[in-house]
Amino acid sequence: MSTNRHPIEQEELMAYLDGELPPDQATEALSHLELCPECQTLAADFRRVSQELMAWEVESPEVGIPSEINAALGERLRKREAAKVSSPRLENRMMTNRWVWAGALAIVCVAVGLKLTLTSRNRNEDRSTAYPSMASIEQYLMPDRNAEIAMARSAAPAAISSDAKVLVLGWRGYETAIEGRNGFVCIVERSWMSPFNSAEFWNPKVRVPMCFNPAAARSILPLTIKRTEMVLAGLSKAQMIDSIKAGFDNKRLPLTEPGAMCYMMSRAGYLNDALGHFVPHLMFYFPLTEKSSWGADLPDSPVTLNPQFRDGPEPITEFVIAVGKWSDGTAAPVM
Amino acid sequence: MTSDEALMLEFKGGSRAAFEELFARYHKPLYGFFARRLNNPERAEDLAQETFLAVIRAASRYEPRALVRTYLYGIALKLLAAERRKLLTSSTSGQSAPEPKTDGTPECVLWVQQAMEKLDAPEREILMLREYEQLSYSDIAELLRIPVNTVRSRLFRSRLALKSYLESDTKTNPALRARAGQPHPGRRGVQ
Repeated sequence: MSTNRHPIEQEELMAYLDGELPPDQATEALSHLELCPECQTLAADFRRVSQELMAWEVESPEVGIPSEINAALGERLRKREAAKVSSPRLENRMMTNRWVWAGALAIVCVAVGLKLTLTSRNRNEDRSTAYPSMASIEQYLMPDRNAEIAMARSAAPAAISSDAKVLVLGWRGYETAIEGRNGFVCIVERSWMSPFNSAEFWNPKVRVPMCFNPAAARSILPLTIKRTEMVLAGLSKAQMIDSIKAGFDNKRLPLTEPGAMCYMMSRAGYLNDALGHFVPHLMFYFPLTEKSSWGADLPDSPVTLNPQFRDGPEPITEFVIAVGKWSDGTAAPVM
Repeated sequence: MTSDEALMLEFKGGSRAAFEELFARYHKPLYGFFARRLNNPERAEDLAQETFLAVIRAASRYEPRALVRTYLYGIALKLLAAERRKLLTSSTSGQSAPEPKTDGTPECVLWVQQAMEKLDAPEREILMLREYEQLSYSDIAELLRIPVNTVRSRLFRSRLALKSYLESDTKTNPALRARAGQPHPGRRGVQ
């Protein structure tokens, strides 16, 4: 491959696929990759090698904490407790010195004053300062793959999710954990599927279990995959927005299919700091539509307009209807 | 979800629950780390436990300078090096090292193992740290004390070499040819 024809080296392409390129180079790599069949082949080769390697799975024995570790743990914790008990005696001796008392009092006063100032400032701060940028990738991953599969499946009643394909988030994007049989796809979305101007766009606590029906799996899920790839590649929000717009312009991203919807009936999710687990609900996707066509947000209407894609680069209108039960059939609070 | 680093600091501060959570998160990955490199499940389990014992012993000195993940694999790499030295000594002193256990190993796994064995050891280690332990280039560089660019170039070479080995094996083995490109049961796919 000649660098004259390709603005990125093969090694850089590999680094891009690994999410290891800085944002500006990642943008260049992504733009080139979308247009270059030769690089697409190479990227597919790299992915295939990774895929082949995953055949070597290791079954680990299910063990609790072994007795030897428990003993060492107990000993360490006992020693620590003992150290805690002995240290106040030392502190008592020190505190007999009145200058130490005076110094401590001064420190306490300063600390209290500082805390009051900070608390007051924090109350006035916009929540956007809580998650100003992306946290480390580990914080968005779920270390227990089985837990993520279970959470993804909890989005819909078992009659649907038990035969659904399940995707889990890995270091390089979403990966198929379980193949499905009914065309539904269950997934746990992360905070970057929030609106781009959301204060919690980078909130690493967010876990949103969703189960897309076949039409949504074909036309809405690719947006989740796309955003996730761009996030892991380190693109800025502006770059992501541009890329999504371009994706719709050049028809690389699909338009919303008729009948696209998803289940969000998990009690295990965490939508954001403001809503927490929220209530079980269904979501319905349409090409840009007036909310009045569904009577959304009108008094006593059970339909609300979801702001997820509102004013975003994706030309989608999304309606939400709350339901009365969690996916396990138990009663849920009324919205 | 509490971060690994926060858990480690809680454990340092005396929390048993924090340690238990770290154990739950990392026991399987550490077992896998040793099992793939030693091909001996019993020793893999022993060494995974030794890694946690080392964490307990060193907890009071822990400082959050690196990710806990990197910290744990740093300990694991040292234990692995010691184990390999021990195996080397025992084999040079006439004792035979245990044969790798292949009974019941699926053909597709043997295929991958054999292709991996053809790689140079340093390149294989980098590839495994990336693919199986999913460490970043900089984490690998820190653990192996080599420049990040060296990690990247060796990783590139090893992936191309592995691709070539896997392709040549596929050409010479019709059974593998039939399998190539098809998803393995239970394997993680690529979108």
